[in-house]
Amino acid sequence: MHQKQRKGFFVLSLLSLPILLIMTVMLTGAENAYGGNANGEEIYKINCAVCHGVKGDSKGEVCYNTNVEKSGKEITTYSRDFTLGVFKFRTTATGCLPDENDLKRIISTGIPKSFMPSFNDISPEEKMALIEYVESFSERWEEEDPCDVITTYMPNWVGKSYSVEKGKKIYQDMKCWECHGDKGDGAGPKADKLKDDWGHKMVPFDFTSGALKRGTAPEDIYITFTTGLDGTGMPSYEDTLGEDDRWHLVSYTLKLMGR
Amino acid sequence: MHSRFYLSLLLISSLVLMMFIGMGVYREMTSEWKTYQTEYKNMLVRNAEDDAARKRAEKLEIGLRQNYVASLNKSDRCMSCHIGVENPYMAKADQPFTLHSGDYIENHPVDKFGCTICHYGQGRATNKKEAHGKGHTHWDYPIIPTKYIQSACAKCHDYKMLQEEGAELVVKGEKLFREKGCRGCHKLNGVGGDLGKALDGIGSKPRAYYAMKHVVGEHTAYNWIKQHFDDPRAIVPTSEMRVFMEEDESDLLTTYIFSIREEEMPSKYRFLKNIVTPPRDGESLYKMFCVACHGSGKISVYDEIFDRTIPAITNPPFLRSADNKTIKNIVMEGRGGTQMTSWKTTASGLKEEDVDKIVEYVASSRTYERPEPFNYLEFQTNIDSGMRLYNNRCSYCHGKEGKGGNRQLGINLKNSTVQQVLDPEFLALTIRDGREGTPMPSFGGDGLGLSDQNIADVVAYVKTFGKKK
Repeated sequence: MHQKQRKGFFVLSLLSLPILLIMTVMLTGAENAYGGNANGEEIYKINCAVCHGVKGDSKGEVCYNTNVEKSGKEITTYSRDFTLGVFKFRTTATGCLPDENDLKRIISTGIPKSFMPSFNDISPEEKMALIEYVESFSERWEEEDPCDVITTYMPNWVGKSYSVEKGKKIYQDMKCWECHGDKGDGAGPKADKLKDDWGHKMVPFDFTSGALKRGTAPEDIYITFTTGLDGTGMPSYEDTLGEDDRWHLVSYTLKLMGR
Repeated sequence: MHSRFYLSLLLISSLVLMMFIGMGVYREMTSEWKTYQTEYKNMLVRNAEDDAARKRAEKLEIGLRQNYVASLNKSDRCMSCHIGVENPYMAKADQPFTLHSGDYIENHPVDKFGCTICHYGQGRATNKKEAHGKGHTHWDYPIIPTKYIQSACAKCHDYKMLQEEGAELVVKGEKLFREKGCRGCHKLNGVGGDLGKALDGIGSKPRAYYAMKHVVGEHTAYNWIKQHFDDPRAIVPTSEMRVFMEEDESDLLTTYIFSIREEEMPSKYRFLKNIVTPPRDGESLYKMFCVACHGSGKISVYDEIFDRTIPAITNPPFLRSADNKTIKNIVMEGRGGTQMTSWKTTASGLKEEDVDKIVEYVASSRTYERPEPFNYLEFQTNIDSGMRLYNNRCSYCHGKEGKGGNRQLGINLKNSTVQQVLDPEFLALTIRDGREGTPMPSFGGDGLGLSDQNIADVVAYVKTFGKKK
């Protein structure tokens, strides 16, 4: 009898252990700096304001960083000014506001090459609250209707040698080299005088250096050609180049990147 | 039967032998130098001004010429082909007959100096390929390209004379060597950093010293060094060398590199009159040891080669919170886990007084008065609260473990210098006031709104990184 009681106590304590563990995890999970409530403003002030500024005007304590590439090229990156409502990395047509998923993706993955970190430990609800708060910085979000998201399907011939050849010709014809240079090293004749909408010096992408800010998948490059990078000198080629031609150009730029 | 077999074997082998002997004789008769000498002789006879000169020319003996300089232990046969090297009439002739360029030969007669003491190459060889030692012959010191030849002048002459007497390339190279901060990573004569290889005697290292795999063109030390300056990672893919050259700078530095040699010239050859010691003031020392990474030190940059931030060290906000003692401590200890190595005398060979001069130079950009003290010791710190704050506010840049780098902007906090050498007061001031002009924001009252108590907690937490868990 006595022994049975002891056994029961043992089983009980074994059972309660995982429950206790789960409870602690839940408790500590809730006990983060935002108090568990998805308050966009609070999350913004803690995580984002240091660079993007309390008013979203990119006048935070840290508004730019200088990066020195292996070749010695210095590139200064500025944090995005949300008050203009202009965003580079969209999946919507040029001139449009970005889709909510675009912003969500940037918050989750960060922007390689710039110093936007990935904020993966913010929960999905908190991300939505944060996006809502970021949208409050510009009136565009209230005034304009959302645009359609552009979907991409990569043809299987991307990267084939004939496609690379065609892409090379388009690179010449569309004068990509004026900024990006003949070899794709970002040293075109116009490269030195470029300024973006925010008044900062712009550095055309050096394909030989590797990582793109948006991402290095062929689809990412295609979407850049299609949507352009609003606010910078990189235009949208949605109207000037056919879909196939844009994919040929993707083939050629992949070649330039040595992939 | 048998005898016939052996007889024919004997016949054939003697024929082969005769053929080889014949080939040897033919080669001797038509050797490169003989052709050149005959041509030279004909040239002299043809261009003779009078009969006496013609007679002299006709008497010119054709034969291998060797010049032996006992005190240098050099026997050079270069004049077998370069036969007109001392003949002033040959000023306009083509190679190999041409007169030595410049007025060099007046002060450096061939019989006293020879050739290979400056030009390198294989002096005893009797054909061009082996003598020049280029391409894939197995000679360690091939003939030096003319653009680097001034490196040889520095074997005997002082820099003042080189500057005045037309060897300014090596002088410029030496100046660049000091001003590009090469010794921040490379030791020379026992003084310098630890990241790169020591450069003592680099100019006389044999070919096998260099990994030639990625060298374009001839696999010579000259090409290795030059191409390495142009693009370090093209030659050594893992190189962390942080050097960016403009125009001809790589040629100038290559020239200087080959003047750093192991062998010493006999004293009677050395011509050192005005030895100028390079300046050793704070600014010069800063350039010599710090500038390669920190540049002017005014801005902090994220460096892709080091994969971490190189902090600004001469910007006034840093100097405001860091007093000279703190800066000296950082310099002396280095920062473990980063490319900043220790500059203690035992580690770097740099004298303490030189470190003082560098610190003084860095601190000379200080414009602000010292900030209000933080009085860290007066706070009761709570490490748990510090940890929460750190994870929320600091870890995006400095990393959860405080290591920084790897595309994180913050500097490494998990090293012995931050943990043991730096005063918590200094860390607290840095967090409170930030570093204007760098990505480190001010977290104090007016900035990002941490209270002094919060800051003290964070400092207390940061100081636990060094402890084993």
